[in-house]
Amino acid sequence: MSTLSSGNSPENSSQAPVARVRIPERLFLTLEGVFQEEVFFLILSVFIGIFSGLAVVCFRLAIDWMHLALLGPLPQTHGWRLFAVPAIAGLAVAVLVLRVFPGIRGSGVNQTKAALYIFNGFIPFRTAVGKFICAALAIGSGQSLGPEDPSLQIGASIASALGRQLKISREKLRLMAPVGAAAGLAAAFNAPISAVLFVIEEVIGRWSAGILGSVVLSAVSSVVIVRWFLGSEPLFRIPVTTFKRPTELVAYAVLGIVGGLASVIFAKSVSYLRPMLKALPRWTQYFQPAFAGLLVGLIAFLGAPQIMGAGYDSMDQAMHGQYAWKLLAILAILKIVATTVSFVSGTPGGMFAPTLFIGAMLGGAVGDIERIFFPHLTGSTGTYVLVGMGVLFAGFLRVPMTSVFMVLEVSGNYEIIVPVIVANTFSYLVSRSLQRIPIFDLLTRQDGLVLPSLEEEREEAILRVEDAMLPVPAVILSAEDYVDANARRIQDSPDPAFLVRMHSSGWSAIKREQLQRLFQEGKGELTLGSVLPSQPLPILYPDLPLDSALRYVDDYPLVPVVNRANSLQLEGVISRDSVFVKYRS
Amino acid sequence: MSWRLPKLVPRSAPVVLLVLTLAAATGFAAVSHLVARYNANQQSRGRKLYARGTAAAGAARYDEAIAAFRAALTCDPTNSQYQLSLARALRDSNDPRRLDEAESYLIALWQRSPQDAAVNLALARVAAHRGSIEDATRYYHNAMYGAWSSDPDSNRNRARVELIQFLLKKGASANAESELVALSTSLPPDPRAHLQAAQLFEEAQDYSGALTQYREVLRLDPSNSFALAGAGEAAYQSGNYSIAQHYLQAAVNANSQDANARELLAITDLVLRNNPFHSHISDAERNRRITAAFAQAEKRLTECARQTGVDLSAASTTSASPLAGLQSRWTATKPDLVHLRSAAETDLPDAVMDVVFQIERQTAATCGPPQGIDQALLLISKKREAAIQ
Repeated sequence: MSTLSSGNSPENSSQAPVARVRIPERLFLTLEGVFQEEVFFLILSVFIGIFSGLAVVCFRLAIDWMHLALLGPLPQTHGWRLFAVPAIAGLAVAVLVLRVFPGIRGSGVNQTKAALYIFNGFIPFRTAVGKFICAALAIGSGQSLGPEDPSLQIGASIASALGRQLKISREKLRLMAPVGAAAGLAAAFNAPISAVLFVIEEVIGRWSAGILGSVVLSAVSSVVIVRWFLGSEPLFRIPVTTFKRPTELVAYAVLGIVGGLASVIFAKSVSYLRPMLKALPRWTQYFQPAFAGLLVGLIAFLGAPQIMGAGYDSMDQAMHGQYAWKLLAILAILKIVATTVSFVSGTPGGMFAPTLFIGAMLGGAVGDIERIFFPHLTGSTGTYVLVGMGVLFAGFLRVPMTSVFMVLEVSGNYEIIVPVIVANTFSYLVSRSLQRIPIFDLLTRQDGLVLPSLEEEREEAILRVEDAMLPVPAVILSAEDYVDANARRIQDSPDPAFLVRMHSSGWSAIKREQLQRLFQEGKGELTLGSVLPSQPLPILYPDLPLDSALRYVDDYPLVPVVNRANSLQLEGVISRDSVFVKYRS
Repeated sequence: MSWRLPKLVPRSAPVVLLVLTLAAATGFAAVSHLVARYNANQQSRGRKLYARGTAAAGAARYDEAIAAFRAALTCDPTNSQYQLSLARALRDSNDPRRLDEAESYLIALWQRSPQDAAVNLALARVAAHRGSIEDATRYYHNAMYGAWSSDPDSNRNRARVELIQFLLKKGASANAESELVALSTSLPPDPRAHLQAAQLFEEAQDYSGALTQYREVLRLDPSNSFALAGAGEAAYQSGNYSIAQHYLQAAVNANSQDANARELLAITDLVLRNNPFHSHISDAERNRRITAAFAQAEKRLTECARQTGVDLSAASTTSASPLAGLQSRWTATKPDLVHLRSAAETDLPDAVMDVVFQIERQTAATCGPPQGIDQALLLISKKREAAIQ
């Protein structure tokens, strides 16, 4: 029987007992399965997707409306609005962030991760409200930030609020934030697979069937909502992309290396400037977003308005060869500058779109330059632009799997999967070798939080049962032999405990003293199987994590490690001592 | 300050689901209303921007038009008309880098409605900009057989005319001629349409086809002086000098200011008066014409030799100049003229005129296009050559 239990906020998680409210049993007579918490959580995931989708639709409208109201419908160059609007809006955003919505600085990915690992899934609902208003104002006014990460946090915040309101169990409440995050990100990107992968790869960090179902359901339902209201048009019109000769992979590898270097420069700029600006007196924080807006506006005013906002239109044009390589390279550099100042100033907004923008421009520039020197290269500018997007995603955000699927999902073209994988791998490796800590982890640590680094976890060696396994013992008793026969067999053995082969039901174990006591009690004529407990010993397999042995070693002197194909074939044994020796080493 | 959602009453799962469903439905309705209003505003703004873009494109200010169409599309991203107009502006801006983007928009539109004639026509024009005969022909054909929103017949003919003009420009005359044949069968009874077809036939150097079209124009509009002149010129170019004379005379009568028709008529008269192979002349007249042509050829040869500095009398045997060789032939043939009247010498007229024709061709090649009777003799030689072949 399931219960919906209360969730905890950070304030009450330590002291408040978990209040459980039982659902009247009669309600389960017909809908018992539906209201088990697991199933209820899945249904709730769909609602989270719907609410997040609705919120993201409104968020996108708000950004568009802000943009139209503040900057006008037509792209302008050299207009006074270009530098005045982002600066003035920056002042307003700073006041809101510092006075009304504290805690909404930055992208939102870290906050969602912190909610999962530290705050038991708690994200204040005001975060969603504040993020919505401030990010819409900032992005709409032209700050060089994107709407995806705020959408992710809005989704997570809605999910968290819903979970708390419904008083679901703490375990489930913790997972609400990632579920909402996936919904928000999927709605913002219009790409459910990438969103699911990102949340699994970056926020949750593990593949779990339980959470995966919820994440997928929420992502898909939010995308359905967004497509219902805003149409199913992709973010970009994808040009013809080609990959003909395997030798051209070298060109994409070069792009990967350049992208990796750019990622490192971008990440180091952010991680270097952010603590510096945060350390300045508090009053300066009122002016930091305004200063960032002024700089962004100045860049736009001087002839590069493409770097304002998320920049999807410019990416689209780059994809269709509208810019020469020099302009592409300049835009990539300027976008790094603009996004760095916008982000480190504390303006709420995301890094996803700027990362894609920088990657797109860099990809186009590198592709065009390569074709100047090697005219036989067949990849179009659009192909390099697409691959470049993935390259920066892999190098800067350090989500290699998401980066590959993001490009595939956005382009709908599997022909470029090999170039994408090659370029992303190089980018990831270059970035990882020059910047050990991924940007999101770095930002979290700068905020004084210590969250598990999923990249480190991924690469951490896992201890397995086979690492602590002892060899097969010399003496193995048989359950069908008599107690006295078995007692004679152990006389020469120094082992304190022995495994017993139970031909019908697996394995059991007996200590030396137990066997000797049975013999002394005159039970020597009985078979050993008849005096042993009927419940067999738990068994382990060599490839299981060593952690899984811990739950048995206190209760049983020996735990058999058997072959997965034949449970009676012994591979070795695990004892309490062997496990602890391995952990200590 | 701590904000919380108001505490809801439900604690039982069915009520929770019901409340969630109601909340979702309410949210859905509210967002629907919001999106509808937003879309209405956006569409209104899009229409204004589209009008601005259309005006700019009409004035060939393509950069401004492109910016306006792009902005219109941000207001209404799925509007096919905006996409089509943007694609056209990108294509017409004469920036090769923009063709890719134009094509991308058009391909997206085409994938949505492959039967749309306007989209196919725009794609055909992009392909024509790129110079791709195969793609252009395919898209023009799609446009011709596609769905037009209005006036399909004339639009189809216009598309075919455009294709023909493109093929002619690319030198694909054979393809152009087959399209012209198809065009000529589908033209409405409109003198202007037939006149345009006649001109295209002329561009394709299919003068008999042109003549047919001009005649059709004249059937519909007998006093059309332009068609009279055109028919005369087409007949002239195809070697039908009697017909040419008829139409050219009518053209001159209709428009005495038509210098070209007058000039062609003069040459046509000369051809008709000097052609010894004309079927309705007596033997005496034929011999007279041959003799006169032979004498004229010698004059032309001498004049051309003088212009080029070739001494025909001194170098008749040693000079490498072809004119000298022709002078020798002319001199050798001259004694045979007296046998023209002989009934036994049936090949002599051809032999004599062959010398005349060779002199006219060679002098035309050496000294430039002839005038007057020499021009007439050259035309007669071409007609004769065509008749023999």
